[in-house]
Amino acid sequence: MKDQLFRDILSRVAKPARYTGSELNMIKKDWEQAGVKMAFAFPDVYEVGMSHVGGKILYGLVNEKSRHLLERVFAPWPDMEAIMRAEQIPLFSLESFRPVLDFEVLGFSLQYELSITNVLNMLDLAGIPLWSRERNEAHPLVIAGGPVVFNPEPFADFFDIFIIGDGEEVLLEFLDKVETSRGLEKVEKLKRLAAIEGVYAPALYNVEYREDGILKSFEPRFAEVPARVRKRVVKDLDQAYYPDKPLVPYMEITHDRAVLEVMRGCQRGCRFCHAGIVYRPVRERSLETLESQARHQLQNTGYEEISLASLSSLDYSGIDPLLKGLVGNYGEKGIGVSLPSLRVDAFSIDLANEVQKVRKTTLTLAPEAGTQRLRDIINKNVSEEQLLDAVEAAFKSGWLSLKLYFMIGLPGEREEDLEGIIEILQKVKYIGDKYSRRPVEIRASLASFVPKAHTPFQWRPQNTMAELDSKQQFLSRRRRKRIKLSFHDRRTSYLEGVIARGDRRLAPVIYLAWQKGCKFDGWSEYFNFDNWQDAFRESEVEPEFYTGRQRPYEESFPWDFIDIGVSKEFLQEEDQKAEEGLTTADCRQEGCSDCGICLAMEVSLNIKGGNVDALEKQI
Amino acid sequence: MKFLGNLDMMHLMERSLRRAAIPYALSEGFNPHIKLSMGTVLPVGLWGENEYFDLELSQRMDIIDFRQKLSVALPSCLQLGECQEINDSAPSLMKIINAASYVFLLEPPFPSLDKWKEELLARPSLTVRSRGKKKGLDKELRTGIYRIEVEQSLNFGRVEIWVAVGEPVNVRYDELGELLLQTGFTQKSIAEVFRSGNYIREGSSYLSPLEVRLDKHTSPCGHSGVPPCGVTIKVGGMRVNK
Repeated sequence: MKDQLFRDILSRVAKPARYTGSELNMIKKDWEQAGVKMAFAFPDVYEVGMSHVGGKILYGLVNEKSRHLLERVFAPWPDMEAIMRAEQIPLFSLESFRPVLDFEVLGFSLQYELSITNVLNMLDLAGIPLWSRERNEAHPLVIAGGPVVFNPEPFADFFDIFIIGDGEEVLLEFLDKVETSRGLEKVEKLKRLAAIEGVYAPALYNVEYREDGILKSFEPRFAEVPARVRKRVVKDLDQAYYPDKPLVPYMEITHDRAVLEVMRGCQRGCRFCHAGIVYRPVRERSLETLESQARHQLQNTGYEEISLASLSSLDYSGIDPLLKGLVGNYGEKGIGVSLPSLRVDAFSIDLANEVQKVRKTTLTLAPEAGTQRLRDIINKNVSEEQLLDAVEAAFKSGWLSLKLYFMIGLPGEREEDLEGIIEILQKVKYIGDKYSRRPVEIRASLASFVPKAHTPFQWRPQNTMAELDSKQQFLSRRRRKRIKLSFHDRRTSYLEGVIARGDRRLAPVIYLAWQKGCKFDGWSEYFNFDNWQDAFRESEVEPEFYTGRQRPYEESFPWDFIDIGVSKEFLQEEDQKAEEGLTTADCRQEGCSDCGICLAMEVSLNIKGGNVDALEKQI
Repeated sequence: MKFLGNLDMMHLMERSLRRAAIPYALSEGFNPHIKLSMGTVLPVGLWGENEYFDLELSQRMDIIDFRQKLSVALPSCLQLGECQEINDSAPSLMKIINAASYVFLLEPPFPSLDKWKEELLARPSLTVRSRGKKKGLDKELRTGIYRIEVEQSLNFGRVEIWVAVGEPVNVRYDELGELLLQTGFTQKSIAEVFRSGNYIREGSSYLSPLEVRLDKHTSPCGHSGVPPCGVTIKVGGMRVNK
């Protein structure tokens, strides 16, 4: 197959380096000697999948720390897919160019709701039946992990297993058990695997719905199967595996740099934020660990840039010494440091100036909402004064363009909040023009709010497409000179919303949409909303049921059985506080807010700079 | 390797230089980058046997040491050839390289190569559709084709063509491919194409950049005690062996 690819196929496709493998630091294990053979599939194109940090962690973990083997698979771009189908080339792995069908486990990383059509397409290209019930012991075990699977139910019929929580904490244990369960009948195998904490096998549960469509019961079919599935958590990131020799692709990928994961989790408690709840608690890496990881990664990759990744990297308690150390050690060699997300305060701007002494391109800040009232509702604890201070600091020190993130369609939003967005943008522009010699460029990205499972807003209705449309038009009409607004596609937001709080009855819709040709739904050039609408109609599923209702507090949700450690009571209290416009402080500053995570997971906040006053010291 | 774009190749070299901890010189300005320049662009889909880079160093380095360090850091699909010290009087590779040679490996059936060569060179005009700047227009290749060597056995053929690079006529490998298709070859019979060399053509001789620089630009740098000094690096892709 490899010969055929290199000689006849690859010269006919765009960006052939997506399919050639052999990157620097690639690990190709001996197939015969290896234990369980797992294919790690990312349901998007190579350059997106290769940018994902979680995949790099699992790749190194399995290949370096166990006798099992893990090889990579990405979604072929449609030009390559067409040739593969015409020439009957099955989906293959990049390490040994073997068909995916030869592997024992096929694990998908689900980072985005709409990547599910790519999952189905990849299964089909691999020659694997799409429905879990149609696969037997001879097929690979099809599993998934990632943020999306905190509500796995819409995808339950396609997967044999979901892994909930931090993958590096459970994957080796899982693969060991796959090995010792060889030869068992499928349902027995699933039962054995489901005994591992964090492992969910949907076929082992019966689900019933009431006549009005609401969940009636969710129960294990066997006594030994747990009723709730608790997420797995890495307690100490310093002890957790992190790759010192990540793969270095030959072609340019989306995030083409070394990555330091400074911490996991975020406790700012923004009420719309899914990751902020499901990845609690905050766990930091120590400075020593990070410095050593930076050194090894740069030595082994030759990357020209290192980036600090986490949900809110500037909240890392050792951010100041870390950045100074990195700039001091590597700046002279032409190696830059990048900060993907900035906090909205002047301190952040000072730090950004520190690391980007020469390159002052675009600075990004996320006030999220246009008025203080609405920012209080969503618990985005940023005042207009802080924002404008940050903006002033940025323009004073030479930045020429600024990007701001907002959301529209938030709970409790009024016209004044939309006006507020425009007012903020104009103030920002005014400050910019005051300090800069030439007119500054202001860009605002306006996402549509999508209520997600496990967040305080999980009971709230989502704006309809018509509502979002009129809000987008309202804002567009107020467009000002050199302030550019860009909106998310309200149709993708709508679909995301349906799936994010969906249940098992969505499976036929997803299947139909894929049959009609849906794939790469996250890519605007391939997104086809008509096909999705037809799929809903033909399978007689009413999408408004999932997005349009204000759900009562007593309603049972399809994802309630996933135990994320944060209590439903806490989420409800947060939602009620939102209704009253009350905020909740970060528990590192003002003490425990009783979300339940530390008790549930037997963990404590792992803040290297000291728990309570680290933040105040910085500000 | 042959599927890498130009920019990807530069990144690969830069990252290898960093891994090798070579004391490279950085450019000034907003976005400092390694002072590395490529001879001529190698098109995507083609591998090269003899490709050249110039690198400026921030301090002089023993050339054997340099070669050893860089060769460890390069990915296994790239082989480091010779490295040669140059001084700052050396003109850029892009300015001096004016010829290249391409090899077409052939599988039967294909016409008699000796006869094909004779007839081709006898023709006063060879036109193909341009793939370069004037895409789609007819392009006259004859003056840009300097020399052809052929080799033929029962089940194998090899054609090597030396062509002009740059001004006034620039012959591309895909235009040569089209020429082959026009003159009796089929796409199926062309098993492999690669660039076998980059040259400075002087009269009837083809000198490699290393040879030219050995003659003219290697009065040792650091001689007068002042940097900058540099290195010309030759690398080659590995043949895909069946």
